[in-house]
Amino acid sequence: MLEAFAAETLKFRRHRATWFLVWIYPIGFLLLSVLLICVGLIQARPETAAPAASKWIESTAAIWYVPPHMFGRYLIAAFAAFVFAGEYGWNTWKLVVPHRSRSALIAAKFAMTFLFLYGAFLLTGLLTLLMGWIGDVVLGSPIPEGITAAALAKAQYLGAVAALAPVLVTIAYTSLAAVLTRSTIAALVIGLVAVTAEQAFLGLAPILSIYAPRLVWGLYQLLPGYHFDNLSSWLGQGSASQTRLPELEPIAWSWPASLALVGAWVVGVAGLTFVSFKRQDIN
Amino acid sequence: MTLPVLELVDLGKVYRGRKGGVQAVKDVSISVGAGEVYGFLGPNGAGKSTTIRMLLGLISPSAGEIHLFGEPLRNNPAVLRRVGSLVDGGAFYPFLSGRKNLEVLARTHGAGADRIDALLEQVGLSDSAKRRVKGYSTGMRQRLGVAAALLGDPDLVILDEPVNGLDAAGIQEMRLLIRSLAADHGKTVFLSSHLLHEVQQVCDRIAIISRGEVIREATIRDLLAADEGLRLQAAPLELARSVIEERWAVEPDGDTILVRATQDEAPEVVRRLVGAGIDIFGLTPERRNLEEVFLSITQEEAADA
Repeated sequence: MLEAFAAETLKFRRHRATWFLVWIYPIGFLLLSVLLICVGLIQARPETAAPAASKWIESTAAIWYVPPHMFGRYLIAAFAAFVFAGEYGWNTWKLVVPHRSRSALIAAKFAMTFLFLYGAFLLTGLLTLLMGWIGDVVLGSPIPEGITAAALAKAQYLGAVAALAPVLVTIAYTSLAAVLTRSTIAALVIGLVAVTAEQAFLGLAPILSIYAPRLVWGLYQLLPGYHFDNLSSWLGQGSASQTRLPELEPIAWSWPASLALVGAWVVGVAGLTFVSFKRQDIN
Repeated sequence: MTLPVLELVDLGKVYRGRKGGVQAVKDVSISVGAGEVYGFLGPNGAGKSTTIRMLLGLISPSAGEIHLFGEPLRNNPAVLRRVGSLVDGGAFYPFLSGRKNLEVLARTHGAGADRIDALLEQVGLSDSAKRRVKGYSTGMRQRLGVAAALLGDPDLVILDEPVNGLDAAGIQEMRLLIRSLAADHGKTVFLSSHLLHEVQQVCDRIAIISRGEVIREATIRDLLAADEGLRLQAAPLELARSVIEERWAVEPDGDTILVRATQDEAPEVVRRLVGAGIDIFGLTPERRNLEEVFLSITQEEAADA
């Protein structure tokens, strides 16, 4: 398994798609930070008071808002489509399947996709912190009192944990689409449609519930979208995310129940990917 | 007695579609011994590639068994680690160099990368090893495919059309390489090719597959010997034919007769004809090559179907 993972890493780490869909986060952020510092140096800035320590800390973990966001998930889906369906396009499954179990090959792809993305987000988080500090020092902005390493680590940790569920579910959707369609484009389109439909449903549920209240109420709780918000709310505020659809009981799940449901989605969809690939004829 | 390296028992594959099933391979049973170079021949669409994909675990058989090194593949797919393969003319990651492709494969195999340089040298790709495969010619990809097949130092090497895209010199090198794999390194080679001249020169034994079924399996020597004959020009031809027919089979062919006798039997043919007062104008040994034998077998089979 580790060898298959090493092979995946070697294969994809320098591919153009990886640069544009994964490494773009730390590189893009670094360039943006340098640009903003340069602009700050050129423009005269009024003297401001130091922001609250909590705000400053929160801003260093801003990258973790990207993966749960719909557009962030589009990029994740695009990378997963490329990783899982690429082998069909290059006709290279024939090269590797005889030498390693199919389960190990798919597991290595899941591990590599997830670790590359999380590695990039984490690196971006660290760069945000570093560049934030450098920016304040260079521009002479005051750094608030009370910033501790533990508080900074906690902000990164909470962001990383909250992003876990949407990242895993997005990878799972797209991997299944890739194995079933054997096409990068088809996998990408299905991944984007699934993410869009899931996110759009959250916004449209109050309207749709007028026409089919019980169905919408049930789907709202069955689909993973609400549970991403709920887990994030439990992590951030320590309470459930409350949703009230017209004339129906309010929805507010406990965090273990939401975690179990999201886990079931990931295990179920990823499991289907494994089973489909194991049974697939590679012509 | 040593176990066969590769044994297919009643192997079959049916592709199921909306309009029913298509029988791509049916009851294929062959056995390949250690150190043999075994040729798998057949017209396009005969089922060669499907069979090769089944024995590499790429396609699941609908019927029958595959045994590799005495173990059923179904129960022990890990046995494929002792097999090296070149399928579909060496499909590789186009964005990686030849060397990086082999490194990826070595890691997937769990094999060390220490053989890579030697293999690149062996297939003549040392100078192009750092170039992206995207820019390789078909022949270069084919050579890289052979290097990939040998990467894990396999005991059984399966080569699907290994000389496709190679020039004359490349074909000659490939021929020597295949023979050397068996003769010098004790490896077993199972290859499919449509270049029958090459197969005739490198294989010990062949199976001919047509419409999914093996219709002939024999050593090259036996296969060609079965079609050996002596072409006779004599007068009167009808009398000559009746004299010869007493002992050998004959095939009239225009103003000559093809006598189904070996070259060693030529003196006896002459004695009988001379004894019967027949004038002999020519008696020449005739031996068909594999291509002619192959065509006659597959055409006969097609006519019978």
